[in-house]
Amino acid sequence: MEFPVKPGEYDAMNYVPHTESHGTKELWRTFWILLGITIFDFIIYFALEPTGFRNFIFIFFGIVKAYYIVGAFMHLKHEKINLALIILVPTIFIIGLIMGLLYEGNAITWMK
Amino acid sequence: MANHTQAAFEKQPMWAGGRSPFNVSYGKLMMWIFLLSDAFTFSSLLVQYGAQRFSNVVSPVTTKWPDPASIFNHFPFIHGVHLPLLFVSVMTFILIASSVTMVLAVEAGHRNSRKEVEKYMILTIIGGAMFLGCQAWEWYTFIHEGARLHSNMFGITEQGYKHLSSIDFGDAFHWADGDRTNGPVPFAALFFIVTGFHGFHVFSGVVINVVVYIMTVRGVFEKRGHYEMIEKAGLYWHFVDLVWVFVFTFFYLI
Repeated sequence: MEFPVKPGEYDAMNYVPHTESHGTKELWRTFWILLGITIFDFIIYFALEPTGFRNFIFIFFGIVKAYYIVGAFMHLKHEKINLALIILVPTIFIIGLIMGLLYEGNAITWMK
Repeated sequence: MANHTQAAFEKQPMWAGGRSPFNVSYGKLMMWIFLLSDAFTFSSLLVQYGAQRFSNVVSPVTTKWPDPASIFNHFPFIHGVHLPLLFVSVMTFILIASSVTMVLAVEAGHRNSRKEVEKYMILTIIGGAMFLGCQAWEWYTFIHEGARLHSNMFGITEQGYKHLSSIDFGDAFHWADGDRTNGPVPFAALFFIVTGFHGFHVFSGVVINVVVYIMTVRGVFEKRGHYEMIEKAGLYWHFVDLVWVFVFTFFYLI
């Protein structure tokens, strides 16, 4: 097997990362999207009655904001897919924990 | 030893060692792993908050979990007016704005433009400091209103709900006698723990940004040939912004 760089020759101190600017267009677009969603949240807060549907909108747009922050600002959209997966897959367990504890918490209400 | 570009490493078999299978440097990968563990920390706090809230939907003394609109309705220099959500939206805007200046600093670093990195790092630090100031004011007001770790007098009675629903955004507002009663105890404690923990992250993020800024000014990265340290600090800073998205959603909107 041919190695262009032999294992062991890797020198962490002299490592030069691959850097290349993708311009600021995507970054500003992300900023306007985040700002727009925040203003939308503000409007929805006063426009709708506090119901489960309104909460669903808030959580849904919270996740949309998280997607844009992690994807564009933290650059995860442009990283290798296996890096993205080791970061994102474990968070599925958090969703499971939220579901479980909200259900149990609700049950505690009626036992009090 | 010669400098190896990432392109040279990419030609090797992925898991044969000698290169990162994730195509990122060690420091950046470790920052991601740290952020994942930090995400679990914040999740545990927010899950605790959710469970407490769901276990206090209706308690025997007509009190529910306090309505955030009835508590966080102040704005600096404007007294006695009902302005829910306004101040915290301003805080959110400040954090988003400082996030975008941070990412512009990272982009300038990719072009090895030291002057621009310095400019955007200064703006990011100012944004972080402004956010911390806002949060200090928010805490001061909340404690002044009577928030304590061991009690909660923000429960609203039926009369209080009627009073609250009769006023609109921007109306003059003061609580009347009998509007409020004792509510679920963990409310204020969880608010202080979660926003305090987040605020501490913002504070440490500002400290990291200041350190990185000083290193930029002293030309450390110019000598090194790349500005990857800005990217690592940026990852942390964006994570703080990300956590705020969820704190904002669960503590103020819902």
